[in-house]
Amino acid sequence: MSTVSSPASVERDLAAIVGEGQVARTDFEINGVVPAAVVSPGSPEEVGAVLRLANERDLVVAPAGGLTKQQIGGVPERIDILLSTTRLNKVEEYDPGDLTIAVAAGLPFAEMQSRLGEHHQWVPCDAANLERATIGGLLATGAAGPLKSTFGHMRDFCIGIQFVTTDGKVVKGGGRVVKNVAGYDLMKLLTGSYGSLAVITRANFKVFPRPRQTRTFVCAFHSLDEALNFRTRLFQSPLTPMCMEIVSPGASEYLRNPEPAHDPDDYAPEQPVSLPAVEWQIVLRAAGSDNVLARYARELGSAVTRTLEGAAEEQFWGWISHFEQGVLARHRNAMVLYTHLAIQNVGPALQALERTAPDYNLIPAAVGRAATGNLVLAFVPLSVDPPSAMQYANCVSAFRGMLPAGSSAEVAQCPTEAKLHFDVWGTTPTDVNMMRAVKRAIDPKNILNRGRFIV
Amino acid sequence: MDSSILRQLKKIAGKDAVLDRPEELMLYEYDAGVDKHRPGAVVFAQTTQQVSQIMRLASEKKIPVVPRGAGTGLSGGAIARQQAIVLSLARMNKILEIDVPNQRAVVQPGVVNLELSNATAKHGYYYAPDPSSQKACTIGGNVAENSGGPHTLALGVTVNHVTGLEVVLPDGKVIELGGKAQDSTGLDLTGFFVGSEGTMGIVTRITVKLTKLPEHVATLLGIYNTVEDAANTVVAITQSGVTPAALEMLDGWMVRCVEANVHAGYPEDAAAVLLIELEGMREVVEEQAKAVSAVCLQQKAREVRHAKDEKQRQLLWLGRKTAFGAVGRVSPSYYTQDGVIPRTKVPYTLAEIERISKHYGLIIGNVFHAGDGNLHPLILFDSRDPKQTENSRKAAKEIMACCLKFGGSITGEHGVGLEKMGLMTAMFTEDDLEVMVRLRNAFNPDSILNPQKMIPDLHFCREITGPLPQPKVEPVAGVPA
Repeated sequence: MSTVSSPASVERDLAAIVGEGQVARTDFEINGVVPAAVVSPGSPEEVGAVLRLANERDLVVAPAGGLTKQQIGGVPERIDILLSTTRLNKVEEYDPGDLTIAVAAGLPFAEMQSRLGEHHQWVPCDAANLERATIGGLLATGAAGPLKSTFGHMRDFCIGIQFVTTDGKVVKGGGRVVKNVAGYDLMKLLTGSYGSLAVITRANFKVFPRPRQTRTFVCAFHSLDEALNFRTRLFQSPLTPMCMEIVSPGASEYLRNPEPAHDPDDYAPEQPVSLPAVEWQIVLRAAGSDNVLARYARELGSAVTRTLEGAAEEQFWGWISHFEQGVLARHRNAMVLYTHLAIQNVGPALQALERTAPDYNLIPAAVGRAATGNLVLAFVPLSVDPPSAMQYANCVSAFRGMLPAGSSAEVAQCPTEAKLHFDVWGTTPTDVNMMRAVKRAIDPKNILNRGRFIV
Repeated sequence: MDSSILRQLKKIAGKDAVLDRPEELMLYEYDAGVDKHRPGAVVFAQTTQQVSQIMRLASEKKIPVVPRGAGTGLSGGAIARQQAIVLSLARMNKILEIDVPNQRAVVQPGVVNLELSNATAKHGYYYAPDPSSQKACTIGGNVAENSGGPHTLALGVTVNHVTGLEVVLPDGKVIELGGKAQDSTGLDLTGFFVGSEGTMGIVTRITVKLTKLPEHVATLLGIYNTVEDAANTVVAITQSGVTPAALEMLDGWMVRCVEANVHAGYPEDAAAVLLIELEGMREVVEEQAKAVSAVCLQQKAREVRHAKDEKQRQLLWLGRKTAFGAVGRVSPSYYTQDGVIPRTKVPYTLAEIERISKHYGLIIGNVFHAGDGNLHPLILFDSRDPKQTENSRKAAKEIMACCLKFGGSITGEHGVGLEKMGLMTAMFTEDDLEVMVRLRNAFNPDSILNPQKMIPDLHFCREITGPLPQPKVEPVAGVPA
């Protein structure tokens, strides 16, 4: 390690910037690495001072919010400072009339959403863990849920951003208005950069009127082909649902609350165990008046096997948003991938999942945005036969090998030991050398999230 | 331009693809904005490989290159400074692929915006961003400027519709960013690149999203006796929960100007009109049309007309989209502004523009994307009169100062280019700009591509700009402060 100063003197210097109580120890692990210190600055300027110090002393910094997505990515080389944004947690400005809001990066998303809810507005993002996940973390990870189908994701709502670079500069891009082309689009650059370019400290969003009424139509099919044919008919129809989700047969098990853990010796099933599900589902969520929803019911006709409303509907979409968490809650060693696919490659990617998983003794399960190609794929190990690290690696490479050209698929979750055997990010159609050049331009000493992201 | 350079350019692109005679170069010294500079040569590339070879040559010889599409830009982005090569992409104008199942089209940069929508309409799709110049402007230029248009209110601007780019870097290297997928693993360089105004690379192939044609469209014309009422309606519609596909405003002066030009049935005695379009499923549109009409009437609209057929609808839009041209009929020169303000500030800003108009004795017509607060005041002047010319620039600066005071932006869709470069320091700090320069240098390290555009030279900008005038904000009758 090239750290020039002792940990004690670093902690002293950090405390001089942020205050005594704001430097702490932690036992929180990020892919097996425990950060040496947790530092919680109280202002963007303090973030700047911390980063400047880290930059001078070659300390590796991991920006952090609600800690909901820290396990995504490669194994960090080391983490000298976990830079927590949780003290930057204010709604800075909210003008319901303009449909814009400015918030500090450490604010949990749900707090912003409930503030917007007072005026029947929202930012249409339904990623997971929004009670804890912060604005900055959601931006940095480009997080999204089923609403991405129509509304896009954080990059499409973010109209202004403030961040701090490793040389301590507090920088902004964009502004507070919904249309703006002055300067480079730094919002797009920072969204999905996984804390590897700069520390996001504030963001401005355009917000939307929240739909007053929605209804969900579950349509079940005997095969993937039938489900995809139905999707094609939907594309050709005048219907404009706000979510269009595809659910694989194996996923149904995770779209409900986990059962309480049983004592294995106390085996007393109440019901006969049902046969495994074989259905593929396309699930649509539509917004509008009674009249509009009646049109959906009419057009969808007999394809609909179940209609959801109210609390049951909210719960269902909550399960979809938390599919990955549902899988991991039951199978700690499951592997989860996020895909980026052309619309017509959704079918081949799901087939690749269904075919590769059994070859490695894994059970396939998937949900995802059928209209945008953003799928969440789970490879679930059998509890009787936990896979070896190499098996994960081989499974990923077999799966990726079956994806059509132009696709990309990053491994969001898998046991840390497996990550040493393959590249969690994989290939991407975007020029990686150019990404690295951008990284070098803004973090030349590579102190931010070293080893975690693709750059 | 050095004759050996010209020879090499001809060798790369062909003899008929290089212009160097003064009378030819004159045609390339301006765009649709106000600045003028004559380039050293114009070369028309026909392939990515040619673009790459031209860039390699220019990099070696350190000759600046300015990429250009149709030259319809309003901020001087496609104007060469010094002895630069203008690299025209206008001949790379093929639609390479219409991929309906994937809802994508792959086009060369010189494809005209409207031609893509025309080509895809038979499949039930169109290309959503619709700048007013869409009959002429190219998609490559739209990518450079991140162009908007009236119908980007609900559907988003160019960046929301581009998923893939092939880019030639200044050293001639060809790279790919994104593709047909909505997004891809890693940094979103596609999104970052859009709107970089030709300062990062030259786009040679573009993958765009195609949007399903709506089942139903309703076009409403709200007619008002005062500008304030129209402006208040914009605020009220925004808050009502309806997001129209387009929400445009024309003031009385513009209405008369446009009506004289296209005879679309715009009421010539109105103080302002709102052109409102609603799109989507029939039931949704019908409900929204009712709701929006009610809001208009509540906000004291004199009348709300519904376009009765497609012909009338097209005529109303023709009026809106040719508004700048209509002004050309009545004024020797005009200066198009492009400022953005928070939507609730539309009434105050219009009052301020009125004050500026009176102060300088210049007519200022207003036609703009009211729904997203993107103003386009047109300042009329006679360029033969130096006093008027000077005043038009002063008035423009005051309008921009007003936008900034309200927390707005100096450009919503026309770009910074040459025109607004001096104003960048009013919106961004030196640190902001320095980081932008560093990022640009990752793509364009020697600033061979479109030099001295968009991001001002940090050491000189203060002296050039000077302080902005302080706007006086008068209370507006009927509008709570």
